[in-house]
Amino acid sequence: MANIELRGVSKQFGDVKVIKNVSLTVEDNEFVVFVGPSGCGKSTLLRLIAGLEDLTKGEIHIDNARIDHLAPAARGLAMVFQSYALYPHFTVAQNMGYALRVAKEDKASIDKKVRAAADILQLTDYLDRKPKALSGGQRQRVAIGRAIVRNPKVFLFDEPLSNLDAKLRVAMRIELTKLHRTLNATMVYVTHDQVEAMTMADKIVVLRDGMVEQIGAPLDLYNAPDNRFVAGFIGSPAMNFFAGKVEGFVEGGIEISLTEGAPLTFPCTGSGLSIGDAVDFGVRPEHFCIGQGADGTLKGEVYAVERLGGETYLYLSSSSQKELVVHMSGDHQVAVGDHVEIGFSIAQSHLFGPDGQSVR
Amino acid sequence: MEKKRNAGFETWLMHIFLVSTAIIVLYPIFMMVMSGFKTNAEIFGSPFAMPKSFNLDNYAVIWNTTDVPRYLINSTIVTVISVIVLLITGTMAAYAISRYKFRGSIMVSLFFLAGLMLPLRLAIIPLFVQLKAMGLVDNLMGLIMIYTAMSLPSTVFILTGFLRSLPSELEDSARVDGASELRIMVQIMVPLITPAMVIAGIYNAVPIWNDFFFPLIFIQTPENRTLAQGLTSFFGEYSVNFGVLYAGLTLAALPVVAVFILQSKRFIAGMTAGAIK
Amino acid sequence: MDDSEYTRAKRRRARNLKLWLAFLLAPPAAILIIFVFLPMASAVVYSLYDWNGLVRKEFIGLDNFADILFNPNKNVILFNAFGNNVKVFVTLMIVQNGIALVLALLLARNPRGFRFYQVVFFLPVILSTVIIGFQWKMFLNPIFGLVNKALHYAGLSEWALPWLGLPETALPSMLLVNSWHWFGFPTLVFLAAIHRIPKDFIEAARLDGASEWRIAREIIWPLIAPAVTIIVVLTFIGSFNWFEIPYIMNGLEGSPQGSTDMLGLLFYRTAFGSVSAGGSDFGSGSALAVLMFIFIFIFSIIATKYLTSREVEMS
Ligand SMILES: Nc1ncnc2c1ncn2[C@@H]1O[C@H](COP(=O)(O)OP(=O)(O)OP(=O)(O)O)[C@@H](O)[C@H]1O
Ligand SMILES: [Mg+2]
Repeated sequence: MANIELRGVSKQFGDVKVIKNVSLTVEDNEFVVFVGPSGCGKSTLLRLIAGLEDLTKGEIHIDNARIDHLAPAARGLAMVFQSYALYPHFTVAQNMGYALRVAKEDKASIDKKVRAAADILQLTDYLDRKPKALSGGQRQRVAIGRAIVRNPKVFLFDEPLSNLDAKLRVAMRIELTKLHRTLNATMVYVTHDQVEAMTMADKIVVLRDGMVEQIGAPLDLYNAPDNRFVAGFIGSPAMNFFAGKVEGFVEGGIEISLTEGAPLTFPCTGSGLSIGDAVDFGVRPEHFCIGQGADGTLKGEVYAVERLGGETYLYLSSSSQKELVVHMSGDHQVAVGDHVEIGFSIAQSHLFGPDGQSVR
Repeated sequence: MEKKRNAGFETWLMHIFLVSTAIIVLYPIFMMVMSGFKTNAEIFGSPFAMPKSFNLDNYAVIWNTTDVPRYLINSTIVTVISVIVLLITGTMAAYAISRYKFRGSIMVSLFFLAGLMLPLRLAIIPLFVQLKAMGLVDNLMGLIMIYTAMSLPSTVFILTGFLRSLPSELEDSARVDGASELRIMVQIMVPLITPAMVIAGIYNAVPIWNDFFFPLIFIQTPENRTLAQGLTSFFGEYSVNFGVLYAGLTLAALPVVAVFILQSKRFIAGMTAGAIK
Repeated sequence: MDDSEYTRAKRRRARNLKLWLAFLLAPPAAILIIFVFLPMASAVVYSLYDWNGLVRKEFIGLDNFADILFNPNKNVILFNAFGNNVKVFVTLMIVQNGIALVLALLLARNPRGFRFYQVVFFLPVILSTVIIGFQWKMFLNPIFGLVNKALHYAGLSEWALPWLGLPETALPSMLLVNSWHWFGFPTLVFLAAIHRIPKDFIEAARLDGASEWRIAREIIWPLIAPAVTIIVVLTFIGSFNWFEIPYIMNGLEGSPQGSTDMLGLLFYRTAFGSVSAGGSDFGSGSALAVLMFIFIFIFSIIATKYLTSREVEMS
C-alpha cells in the first residue's frame, strides 16, 4: 500500500493562512487521526491531500512520489465525506461503481467489484435502492463502499460518523477499525471527537490554528502531552489546571508554589525556567483521590455530583479554582455542600511553562 | 353567541366573494368555448344559449382555409427551440457563476442580472437594424435569438439560486472519483436541478408563446407568423364570422391551457418564480 | 522532474479550468451582449442622430429630445399619452392589486376549494394577451357583444354603450380587461408571501384576540412588504410599457380621441410610422425610448429603495 509525506505544507485562502507549514508522515497501513478544535484546518489539510484544494506552499508525496500537482483522481486515493455525498439520482450500485465507470472499466468487472464491496458491508440487498430510501447507517456504509470499490492506496475520512446517532457511531467505529485490518490500507481520518481519535488511531495528529501541536500514539499524548493545549484537549473531562509560580531550583527539579496548598517539588531536567515564572500545574480528573494525596492535598466544596453507578464525577470549587473536576470509579457517598480533601501525586501530574510547553 | 354568528357571516361573505370571482373568470372563457361551436345566427339570436350542436364546422374552416395551423407550428418551433437554447446556455452561465470561485465572478453575475432591468422592447429600433444586417428579419431564427437573450437573465437568476444550494461535497466526491468538470456538471449536478429547470422553462416559455410584440415588428411573410401575431390577421379576414373567430381563439388557447391544467402546480411555481425571493 | 515541472503541471490545471469557465460563459454572454446590451447602447447613440427612414444622417446632439419634449405640436401627444399611462398605473394599483390582496388574504385562510381557486385565478394569466384582447373586444362589441346583449336581457338597454368607442369608457374597459387578465398573478405572489409568514405569528395574534382585520393590517401587511415591493415595481413597468391591450382592442392611434393613447403606442408610431405620425423616424423614436427607459429605471430604483426601507426582517 502506501505511505504519505507532507513537507512544509501551507494553505492560504486569500490573506487568511489556514494551514501553516505542516510536515508529517503517515506510514504504510497506518490509521492516522487528525484532531483539533473546530476551524483548526483538519478538513482543509485532508482536502489538500485529496487534491481538492491547491497547496500554497510545500509538497505532498504518496508512495515516495510527489503528487501535489496531480488531479484528485490521479492520486490513487478515496475519500468519505461527512455528509456522505451520495449521488441522489443514482442507485447504491451506481454510486459505488461510479468511479470505475468514469475510468471506463468494463461492466462485468465493475459489477463484480461492487458486489464484493457490498458483501463486506452487508449492502447486497440494497444495491438497487436510491440513497433516499436508506437509513443513516446504510448511507454511511454506501459511502465507505464507494471508497472500497476503487481499491485505493489511501482512504481519507472527513468526520464520517458525526451524522450518526451515538449508538450507531460506536458500532461503526468498531466496524471501521475492523475494515482497516481486513483491507490493510493506509487511512487518514479527521474528527473532532477525541474518543474516536483515542480508540481508532495508531497515531494522532493534534492540530490547532493550522499548526501541528503534537504527533504520537494515543496513550503517549495522554501520558506525556507536549504542551498545555494537547494536555487540555486529550482526555475527558479535561485536565484541571492550577496557576503557580517558580520559587527555586533543587537537585533534579524545581520548587513551585500554587495559589493554595503547600509548595511542591517537581522533578525535571533543564527546564529553562527562571525564578518567578508563572507556570500551570495540571492534574487529570481521574488522577485525584479523595483524602490525603501522596504529594499534595487540596480542599474544596462540592457543588455538583454526577453518580453514574460505575463512576462518579465531583465538581468542586476551592479557594483558588472556580471549577475542579474529580473522576472516581465506583459509587461514592458524597453530597453537595460537603467539604472534601482531594490528593494527587507528582508522578501523575504535569507542569507547563509560561510558553505552554511541558516541563519535564 | 353574537360573535359566532358574526364569524359565520364573515365566512359566508368570503365564499360569496371567491365564488363570484371564479365565475367572473370562468364564465367568459366558457362563453368563448361555447360560441366556437355556434353559427353566426345562433351567436346573434340566442347568445347565451348552449350551441345547437357541438359540431366542428368552425374548426374545419380554420383548419382548411386559414394559416392558423401554420402559426401553431411556428409558435411551437420558436418556443421549443428558444427554451432549449435558453436552458442550455442559462445553465452554463449559472453553473459557472454558482459553482466556481474566480476573479471577476461577481462582475459576471452582475452582468447577467443587469439584463433583468433592461426592457428590450425599448431597444427595438437598433435591434431591428441589427437583425436586418444579420439577415434575421422575417426569420424565426431572429425571434429565437431575441427570446433567448431576453430570457437569459431570469433563467440565470433562477438556476443560480438552485445550483448554489447543492452541496459542494457532491462535486468533490465526483472529482475524487475521477470525473471531469464537464462530466460532473452534466452527470451529477444538472440532473439535480431539473425541477428548477422546469420552473425556469415555464417561466419563460409562457411569455414567449404568448408574445406578440416582437413578431409584429420582425415577421412579415404570412408563413412565418407566430400564433399570437397570426391571430390579428386572422381577425382581419374573418371579422364578420364570430363563430369562426371564437373557435380560433379557443384553438389558440388550447395548448397552453391543456399543459396548465396538467401541470398547474409547476406553472404557478414557475410563473411566480421571479417575483418570490 | 525538477521543481519547475511541478509548477508547470499545476499551471496547466489552472489554465484548463479557466478555459472551461470561458467555454461555459462565452455563449450566454455573447447572446446577451449581441441581442440586449448592444441594442440598448445603440438606442442611446441613435437618439443623437438625425435619421431619414433607415438611413442615419448627421449628429444632432439632443435635438431629438428637444423636439419631442418641447415642440408644441408633438408634446401634447406625448403628455396626453403619459397622462394615460399614469392613469393606467394608478388604476391597476388600486383595482387589480387591491382585489388581488383581498383574494390572497381570503385564500390564506385555506377555504374549501383552495386548489380550485388557485388554478382558476391563474388561468387568465397564462393566456395570451392577444387572445384575451380579442375575446373581450368581441364581448364588448356594441351590437353583437355579449356584454350589451346581457344588459338588454336584464332590461338595462339604456346602459348598453359602445364601450370601446366612447372616450369616457374605452380606457376603463381596457383596464378592467387587463385586471381580469392579470389579477391572478399578484394574488398568488401575495399568497406565497403570506404563506411564508411563520404560523406562530398569526396564531399568537389570534390567541391574543386580535380581529382578522387587525391581523391583516398589523401583522400580514408589514411582513409581506417584499412581495408588495415587487408587485408595485412590476405593475409600474407593465403600466408604462402597456401596449398589447390598447393596440389589439383599439388600434395604434389610441382612439377614440387619444383617450387610450399610451407611450408604447406613440413609440411604435414614431419609430415605424403610421397614418398620424407619417413615415418612420428612428431618431425621435430612439429618443423617446431613452426617455422612457430613464423614467422607468429611476422610478423603479426609487420605489425599490423607498419600499424596501419599509420591509422588516422576519427572523
Ligand atoms: N474555501 C475556503 N475559503 C476561505 N476560508 C476557508 C475555506 N475553507 C475553509 N476555510 C477556513 O479555514 C479554516 C479551517 O477550516 P476547516 O474546514 O479546515 O476546519 P475544520 O478543522 O475541518 O473544522 P470543523 O471541525 O468545523 O470541520 C476555517 O477558519 C475556515 O473558515
Ligand atoms: Mg471539517
